[in-house]
Amino acid sequence: MISPKSFQTASIGIRQTALRRIGAGGMFLFLLIAAIITLFPIYMALLNSVKTQGDMLSNILALPASLEWGNYTDAFRKTNYVRSLWNTFVVAGTGLAGIVLFASMAGYKLSRTPGKLSAFLFGLFVMSTLIPFHSIMITLVRISSGLKLQGSAVGLGLLYIGLGVAVAIFLYHGFVKSVPKELDEAAVIDGCGEFKLYFAVILPLLLPITATIAILNTLWMWNDFLLPLLVLTDFKSYTLLLSTNMLFGEYNNDWSAILASLVLAMLPVILLYLLLQKYILHGISEGAIKS
Amino acid sequence: MKRALHLLLTLTMLVAVLAACSSGTNKNGPSGSASPSSASGGEAAATEPPKKVELKVFMSFPRFKDQFERYFAQFKEKQLAEKNIDVTIQLEMPNADQAKQILQSRLSSGDAPDLYTLHANDIPTYYDAGYVADLTGQPFVAKLYEAVTETVKYDGKVAALPLESLSWGYLYNKTIFKEQGLTPPQTLDEMKAVTEKLQAAGVKPFLLAFQESWIPQLMMALSLGGTVSSSHPDWIQKMNEGSASYADVRSVFDIIDIIMANGTDKPFETGNEAGSAEFANGKAAMWVQGPWNAETILKVNPEMDFGVAPLPVSSNPEDAMINLATSTSLALSPTSKNKDVALDLLNYILDDKDSSALFEELKFNPIATVHQYEVFPWVNEASSYVSQGKAYLDLKLPNGVTDETAKLLQSYYIKDVTQDDIIAALDKVWQTAVKSN
Amino acid sequence: MPTTRKWKPSAMLLLFVFPALVFYCVFTLAPAIGGIWYSLTDWNGLNPAYRMVGLSNYVEAMGDRFFLKSLWFTLKFVVFMLVLQNLLAILLAVFIEAMGRSKVWFRTIFFMPNMLSLIIGGFMWMFIFTRVFPYGAEKLGWSLLNQSWIGDPRYSFFSILALSLWGGVGYLMVIYIAALQGVPKTLKEAAAIDGAGALSLFRNVTLPMIYPALTIGVFLTLNGSFKVFDAVYSLTGGGPGRSTQVIAINIFEEAFSFSNRYGYASAKAMILFGIVLVISIVQLAVMKRREVRA
Repeated sequence: MISPKSFQTASIGIRQTALRRIGAGGMFLFLLIAAIITLFPIYMALLNSVKTQGDMLSNILALPASLEWGNYTDAFRKTNYVRSLWNTFVVAGTGLAGIVLFASMAGYKLSRTPGKLSAFLFGLFVMSTLIPFHSIMITLVRISSGLKLQGSAVGLGLLYIGLGVAVAIFLYHGFVKSVPKELDEAAVIDGCGEFKLYFAVILPLLLPITATIAILNTLWMWNDFLLPLLVLTDFKSYTLLLSTNMLFGEYNNDWSAILASLVLAMLPVILLYLLLQKYILHGISEGAIKS
Repeated sequence: MKRALHLLLTLTMLVAVLAACSSGTNKNGPSGSASPSSASGGEAAATEPPKKVELKVFMSFPRFKDQFERYFAQFKEKQLAEKNIDVTIQLEMPNADQAKQILQSRLSSGDAPDLYTLHANDIPTYYDAGYVADLTGQPFVAKLYEAVTETVKYDGKVAALPLESLSWGYLYNKTIFKEQGLTPPQTLDEMKAVTEKLQAAGVKPFLLAFQESWIPQLMMALSLGGTVSSSHPDWIQKMNEGSASYADVRSVFDIIDIIMANGTDKPFETGNEAGSAEFANGKAAMWVQGPWNAETILKVNPEMDFGVAPLPVSSNPEDAMINLATSTSLALSPTSKNKDVALDLLNYILDDKDSSALFEELKFNPIATVHQYEVFPWVNEASSYVSQGKAYLDLKLPNGVTDETAKLLQSYYIKDVTQDDIIAALDKVWQTAVKSN
Repeated sequence: MPTTRKWKPSAMLLLFVFPALVFYCVFTLAPAIGGIWYSLTDWNGLNPAYRMVGLSNYVEAMGDRFFLKSLWFTLKFVVFMLVLQNLLAILLAVFIEAMGRSKVWFRTIFFMPNMLSLIIGGFMWMFIFTRVFPYGAEKLGWSLLNQSWIGDPRYSFFSILALSLWGGVGYLMVIYIAALQGVPKTLKEAAAIDGAGALSLFRNVTLPMIYPALTIGVFLTLNGSFKVFDAVYSLTGGGPGRSTQVIAINIFEEAFSFSNRYGYASAKAMILFGIVLVISIVQLAVMKRREVRA
């Protein structure tokens, strides 16, 4: 994937002492090998997803003898791609809307209100970041079944709100400190109600941290496997990941169809990544450092 | 009571919050297709538009997906023509290892499929938990062979429609046996001699396909079944009372050790499909796997000539016996909203006209009077042992024991556990299962 | 009116916090408390009635050979991840920062696996381990590749490790890059003028500067690897048998597979909670102290 051209430009870019150049060459070589290893599985999946089973078995590393798009139509049908993709959107959309809205409200007020009650509530939220998911999952599944949320993509989204809100509050709480207090006061003098103030003035100002939170949470919900596995009992509510996992179980020897389904499952994420890379990388490091 | 109240309270709160705070974003009504009408029955007049009904069918048969899809399409046509009902069948077929976990979580969350497959041995557990509807008096029951009906009866009631009724042992490659001048061994010593001869000829004696844990488990099903039925007839009862142990039947490991020591490589990377392909292509002479795999094997190599033989478990040839079992059976959920259509589908499985072709195509044993096809050669072979009295009814183990055995045998192969560990672990699971009932 | 003034902020606060609090209580706090409660019962999935059994679940777990084994296996995994993941991430970050225009390319590539679920990644690697490697062994004669990568626990540990590193290093790399970019250029140049070699530059200038990032990196790795599930589930499912079971898989199987012993599984889950808690606290305390000293 790395073209020889970028190799050249990289080498030319380094005009240091001879010793350094060797060092830089070594580093580059290391990175290059690491990059090849990183991309290798994805490349193999792509390559073999357009081969017939026989072609794959005899020439796993070679280019396909002929393009076999049938694997894709097969995988498309077997994973019920459109429905699964839609379900994934519904889950992540529901979860994200709730997390951003509720957490920003709470984070903002908690940060602005001094006093014991505020400190207690904030502590209550932060505490949960130490609880591993596996410690609550058994009871969580029972609660979600009691609330009739099982088997529904929206229901799963609601669960994610409850699971994700604490970290988001923490991030908002920190960020709000950087928003000048005078702004609120000025607005209040203007006769702006509390909620209007929040929606009209504060929420737009929180946009940078909202972007970070949106990225972190979307990635999490999109790629989460265990909770959907336990909660989405109706296969019509299956997310992309669950459908792919199911197909893997059903056709466990038919690698052509499996690889095609893996490529299909990766596609939306990779596209989004290549488009929004800058924001995603920024959001990731921001989120990690802040929390 | 308190819990229910608490949940109700939180639910109302949730709804209130949702309504107040996020108009539009969270409310996402049932998407796309119209949900099925919930009323059941219905002989609508032919002029009316067909009534839409949706059935969820859950079967642990990924290898037969195409066949069942086609068969259900026939049912759809028939139902539309005869009752003016437009049936949509949501067919789901996870593999055997995943199926049980998925099914149990659905059943316990009240989200049961209308029809689902279960092992006939699990009927008591599921029936007692209220997950299985009584099928006594359904038209299909009258067509079943008497002996087969018995295997799906519990508490005097017919609880499921049997699909696979088997007389099984292990499979062997007749061509290889003929070439080496061998006949199926009946004792452990004979088996040892056979493996030695095969090894000397450069043929792997046993195919091992252990990726899916239910396959290694079959070894124990046969060796325990043979051992218990021949020399410890009251063992199961004693186990249930807590006065016996797997240590009493330790000899079940003798044959398992022989098989494991003489098997193919990388068993954990070989699933059922891959294993069937390898067996069909003569990669090994024997495979502890039932004739239910016939279709999968013959699909790879239609010329494959295999037979069924009883697994030796001791030095007495009389102890090598054929296992008579009903495994996969189709049950109806009592909570099904479209019981009438579901029952129609269930009865259609043993349809006078179409059933025979389905069962023949799946290479299942005939189980009912409507099955007219010629019996497969391996069935005749197994029957010849049965007629000599060398057969026993599959053992009924408590819920969970078979699954635990499956895991443990995988571990046993990689020497992660010893025989003593297996004995201790299985004794424990058995006791836990008995206690929880 | 003074009284209204006094309670009004509190009322407002509650109003703003209320929606978040409801969801949080129902889906995080209640299950956590419920988990503690159920861990003291013999509740099982098929049977709705249960009774209190005291600490007997905990006692049983401490003598449960497979649970203890899964604990040990997880611990081993955590140690390997801790060292390898951070080491690799720092290496990649430092090297990438030394690159010119190829910097962006490398960063993009190394982070890519993080965008994917380890379920997807696991299936892809399964293909590599069970199809591509044996092919390579046969056609290219690299017999080293011809192992049972997912079927033999001696090797499957490393397969799981490889998958986890593949999926996790990029994340930490991004964090370390951000930290490195925070190192002032002038500081580096000054040190270079002083005649510091590349290594001592790294040790004396770069490393202290990325110390806070190391805290984060170690914390994230610890937290993530203790809870590892997807990588194991997709590659080996914890098998063969239970040879590659991590704690999360062991709990999952106990609760949701065949035996459905919710009460017992809850006790195991609480033990996991305790371990994660203790380790997080100790680690944060130690790293904070070192940070201050450095």
